[in-house]
Amino acid sequence: MSSPPVTGPAPVPRHRGGPGPARFRPRRTPPAGTVRPKPRRVLSYWRQYLAISPFFLIFIGFSFFPVFYSLYLAFQRWDGMGTMQFVGLDQFRFLWSDPVFWMSIRNTLVIWVLSTVPTLFGALVLATLLHSVRRFKGFYRIALYVPNVTSIVAVSIFFGAVFSNNFGLVNAILGMVGISPVPWLSNPWLIKLVIALLMTWMWTGYNMIIYLAGLQAIPTQIYEAAKLDGAGPIRTFFQITMPIMRPIILFTVVISTINGLQSFSEPQVLFGSNAANPNLGGPGQAGLTTLLYFYQSAFVNNDYGYGAAIVWAFFVLIMVMVVINWRVVQRGRKS
Amino acid sequence: MDLSRRGFLQAAALTAAASGLTVACGNGSGSAGSKNGKNLTMWYWGGALSDKVVAEARTHFADQVKLTVASIGGDFKQKLTTTLAAGTSVPDITGIKGEDIASFLPNAGRFLDLNDLGFKQVSSQYLEWKTKLAQTEDGKQIGFPIDIGPTALFYRADLFDKAGLPTDPDKVAARTGTWDEYFDLGTELGKKLPGTYLVNNISAVFTIAVGQGTERFIDKNNRFIGDQDHIRAAWTTAIRPYTLGIDAKINDNTWNAAIGKSLTTELGAAWHALDIEQAAPKTKGKWRVCATPGGPANQGGSYLALPKQCRNPEEAFKIISWILSPANDARGFADAAIFPAAPAAYAMPAMTQPDPFFGGQKVIEVFGPAAKAIPVSYEAPADAAVMAPFFTELTSIEAKGKKPDDAWNDAVSQARQIARRQGVK
Repeated sequence: MSSPPVTGPAPVPRHRGGPGPARFRPRRTPPAGTVRPKPRRVLSYWRQYLAISPFFLIFIGFSFFPVFYSLYLAFQRWDGMGTMQFVGLDQFRFLWSDPVFWMSIRNTLVIWVLSTVPTLFGALVLATLLHSVRRFKGFYRIALYVPNVTSIVAVSIFFGAVFSNNFGLVNAILGMVGISPVPWLSNPWLIKLVIALLMTWMWTGYNMIIYLAGLQAIPTQIYEAAKLDGAGPIRTFFQITMPIMRPIILFTVVISTINGLQSFSEPQVLFGSNAANPNLGGPGQAGLTTLLYFYQSAFVNNDYGYGAAIVWAFFVLIMVMVVINWRVVQRGRKS
Repeated sequence: MDLSRRGFLQAAALTAAASGLTVACGNGSGSAGSKNGKNLTMWYWGGALSDKVVAEARTHFADQVKLTVASIGGDFKQKLTTTLAAGTSVPDITGIKGEDIASFLPNAGRFLDLNDLGFKQVSSQYLEWKTKLAQTEDGKQIGFPIDIGPTALFYRADLFDKAGLPTDPDKVAARTGTWDEYFDLGTELGKKLPGTYLVNNISAVFTIAVGQGTERFIDKNNRFIGDQDHIRAAWTTAIRPYTLGIDAKINDNTWNAAIGKSLTTELGAAWHALDIEQAAPKTKGKWRVCATPGGPANQGGSYLALPKQCRNPEEAFKIISWILSPANDARGFADAAIFPAAPAAYAMPAMTQPDPFFGGQKVIEVFGPAAKAIPVSYEAPADAAVMAPFFTELTSIEAKGKKPDDAWNDAVSQARQIARRQGVK
């Protein structure tokens, strides 16, 4: 479909949508020059608004409203069915003095660092390698991206089996070379390591594809010029590739921060089979991430007010982290 | 683009119309105003009821009502809570799990009082302690008991024999009358059969030890009593197998692999037999059952309830009382290992059959008396939430070697905080 030819003499009147000719000029617009066109009212664009409305209606119904409703809930005590009771800032006071909440924040941050750093570093290395690959390009890209489109639940169950303390594959292999079994799923640090490894495995491919797209957008002339000036591959990487890729790296850092801090399914599935205590993040609650704690409070204990308080406190934390990230990555550019 | 604008718009309009229709249908099922509807829906989860009995109920009542049953997967309580809060598409009959019933009691107004519909006349057929757990303080009955979970001690007769211990259920029961005797036996077993363990994890011991008492974590006056002697005693009991080194410390799905190998005994409710059977089919005939050390407790066991929106309460009540009549309840035991809440069923042939998995033992001889001897206890709505930190700390002891005393202090302070958050004094 091409836009209908613009009729009427130039200059085209300015529309609300911005300068330049409108793609869809309404037929009833009088030819310019006779009468000065009235600014169009919002309602006369109803077709365009109708066309984009499904997204916004669904967004308002299923995202916007719940988000603000949860803010309202954070000041109530509610079991999901009965009458709500306004409790003011009580939920936040409980939160402040709840050691489990602070532990869940610590867990989340540790898992986030353990997963994001290797993910982004590995993705960049892989992207650079893949950029110079000449054969089987498609195969490598698909192979590295497949983990990201695999269901988290399936991956978690698989990791749970591989790292199982008593009968897992990893411990079986370690046993063959004479290393005694490692308590992957009961030692607090190893639990975090396994979750982080799982997330690294899933997200390296995703970031790699983004980096690869960025690398391909760098003109080859720059590399040729660098080569002529005698720069080796490492120097080229740090002095040409990295600076040009900075906006893309910033993007992946921000996205990884938001994703990584929201880890939930991984520990939930890994330790969901803990019969006495599902949804609590495994032995010693070492895998209890903040979102899992929220889920447990709201949907297992039916304490919706406290659950809402947890996520809002966590929202503030994520915002702080994103701003810090932004600052750190931006600072390098200015210097 | 080969899709024309007209074609696209038509397709879009059709899709919108179709989705609108679906929504309309969805709403229709919940909002009928009259109370003699001909369509009833029933929600339960796989294994809650005998599918055969439910199928028969559909044909049995086909003349009066059309019963639609839905087996709801996933988190049943969560889905039921959401639906009840929304108030539309509410099922006419719903199952409620035993561990969740207490948390529904504060919202008893969302359900019909079964006593008004005739439960009073049949209630004597069902175990009193089970009926009471689904009753509000002012006597409103919201749940019709389906089944119960009387606990017992499952043990490997072949391993007991190897260790030179008695294998006969009565003799084993005599040697495991109290927790201390049971742990002594476990120490002996552990010495004679290295690499085997008496208990799966100490949380299992704690659950049962708490269930053996008449008080739990919150009393009837809505006060936190989780730091008192009865809980401390259950805690101390639970810690013993850990200090004696007869605890397998299994807290994940490796239980499936361990149950047929390294575990000599297993504590669990009647329905747990099915788990063992499925996880370790090769051990068929090697297991036996005897009474729980220290007396019986209950684990699980569900209810059927009629939400307030029920479109035909009289017929719905007839259906559930038919499905849960002692005779039909007894069939559930054979079909789905559902242990009936009606003692009259225990004498019926369906239940007195010897069980080949337990070497031909008539397991009802253990579970039947246990069912009747379970103590009546008060379970507060927040009880499950308050109990959770105790499990967490017990797991910490097993996983990290945390000192039991520190774990106890942390568990109590955490439990107290959760209790306060949920409005307990």
